[in-house]
Amino acid sequence: MRSDEVILMKIVILGFGAVGQGVARVISLKREHLLDKYGLQLDIVAVADRSGGAVFDQGLDPELLLKTKNETGKLSQYPDFGVEGFSGLEILDKVEYDCLVEVTPTNIEDGEPALSHMLKALKDGKDVVTSNKGPLALSFTQLSEAAQETGANFKYEASVGGAMPIINLAHDTLAGSDIESVYGILNGTTNYILSRMAKEGSSYEQTLNEARELGIAETDPTQDVDGWDAACKIVILANSVLNLERTLKDVKVEGISQITPEAMALAKKEGYLIKLIGEASQDVLEVSPRLVKEGSPFAVEGTLNVATLKTDLAEDVTVVGKGAGSIETASAILSDLLNIWKAS
Amino acid sequence: MRLNLVLELLDVPGQLLDVLKPMGRLGANIVAVIHQRDVKTDEGRVPVQITIEGDEETLNRVIDDLEESGIQVMEVDGVLRREKITTILVGNIVDQDLKDTVNLLNQLPGVRVADLDLKMSDQPERSATKIVMEAREGLKLDLLNKINEIGALKGFLVINEI
Ligand SMILES: NC(=O)c1ccc[n+]([C@@H]2O[C@H](COP(=O)([O-])OP(=O)(O)OC[C@H]3O[C@@H](n4cnc5c(N)ncnc54)[C@H](OP(=O)(O)O)[C@@H]3O)[C@@H](O)[C@H]2O)c1
Repeated sequence: MRSDEVILMKIVILGFGAVGQGVARVISLKREHLLDKYGLQLDIVAVADRSGGAVFDQGLDPELLLKTKNETGKLSQYPDFGVEGFSGLEILDKVEYDCLVEVTPTNIEDGEPALSHMLKALKDGKDVVTSNKGPLALSFTQLSEAAQETGANFKYEASVGGAMPIINLAHDTLAGSDIESVYGILNGTTNYILSRMAKEGSSYEQTLNEARELGIAETDPTQDVDGWDAACKIVILANSVLNLERTLKDVKVEGISQITPEAMALAKKEGYLIKLIGEASQDVLEVSPRLVKEGSPFAVEGTLNVATLKTDLAEDVTVVGKGAGSIETASAILSDLLNIWKAS
Repeated sequence: MRLNLVLELLDVPGQLLDVLKPMGRLGANIVAVIHQRDVKTDEGRVPVQITIEGDEETLNRVIDDLEESGIQVMEVDGVLRREKITTILVGNIVDQDLKDTVNLLNQLPGVRVADLDLKMSDQPERSATKIVMEAREGLKLDLLNKINEIGALKGFLVINEI
């Protein structure tokens, strides 16, 4: 049954890499479903990459956006509506839209260009959905205050654990319970490396190279293996789930590069695995290698993510899911868009 | 009232007697002693079950006395009194470090290092050691802090449980 009234949500997507393209694909895939079930039509009115962007107030064609990006590498080559050198901020200034989907690269030095994009949108009273960890880990309070001032929605489910539901789970599903602490495996690359080391008895260097060859680790894996990616996520959880005002510099961070086959073997003998764990509570904010029991929910392999919320009423709630991936991450962005629609 | 205790004793002559004598002196009645010398823990200790009788105050005094004199009280009426805590250190660990570390940990009241394992690597800085400790209920956080302190002091990576 199609709802009588169709609500139109005009979306700007800044960044058109793995996640941005995933969002376009998901919007295209779910077009009919969203119309039928919710009476919601998501129109992409502008998209930008580093080449510039494409803008059309009647809605761009998601499939054509993907095709153009794949064939030319540049959105500015989009037929008729491509514009070279159109920056994200210019787009937000000139285009009429309801919601910004911010999916440019994560920058943990100053959060840019995403921080300026998000602040501009929120100050203009536009909703923001993002998977970008940098601005949240550095300037969470500033962003949520900007949202509060104008009453705009600010949602970031995809920024922690990709498709693994955690933030909305804590806010909505577990509403009423006090959450005392949260800890989890928040980085897929390091979990892959540690799982392989445990299984194969291989060295860290060897396993990292293997992960690079498989495209699981990036050419420069520093942010993952040194724990900074997980640190960003635990800061976001500390702020959003525990209501603690913390930033990246408050996290004690230890990566996995010092883990040796010898340490792995000793852990296994005692029935443990070594995992990179992020933990946040009133007194603790850290990322470090820790021992977890074999056979426990934290003994996940591959690039999976896991997190446990310790609550007063519901006790421990643990979730597992895909921490990354184009469509997987886009699924979390879509759920944020739908939640905004539901609340409106 | 009656209390069932499970103790772990060193497997040497006279140990059991050393435990039982002060109990009587403190005014507790010894109702039963179950001592199976052929059952041993991983660390070569012998578990002993003792049932004692007396008023609450006396029985509490007995437990305190046992713990103060370094006897491992594992259970009181089926409730575990000790937590097992495992940690792994990675770094250039030599024998002396290990002895120091164990001494520092054993000096903490209510803590005992129960097991040690060392795995050397061809590259010395990659060696690892596993330390299993037993600590009285409630001491875990202090103990973990102490281990982190020792790790920082000696430049070891410390891998604790979650
Ligand atoms: N990949 C995942 O599975 C995943 C999961 C969770 C969260 N995230 C987060 O989501 C965000 C996007 O990740 P991704 O994997 O899609 O990154 P990506 O593949 O590197 O894509 C980034 C996109 O942003 C564009 N861009 C860079 N600077 C820009 C600017 N100043 N203005 C407009 N566009 C700009 C790039 O343009 P060009 O195409 O021209 O280079 C590219 O299209 C990141 O913050 C990441 O941390 C990713």
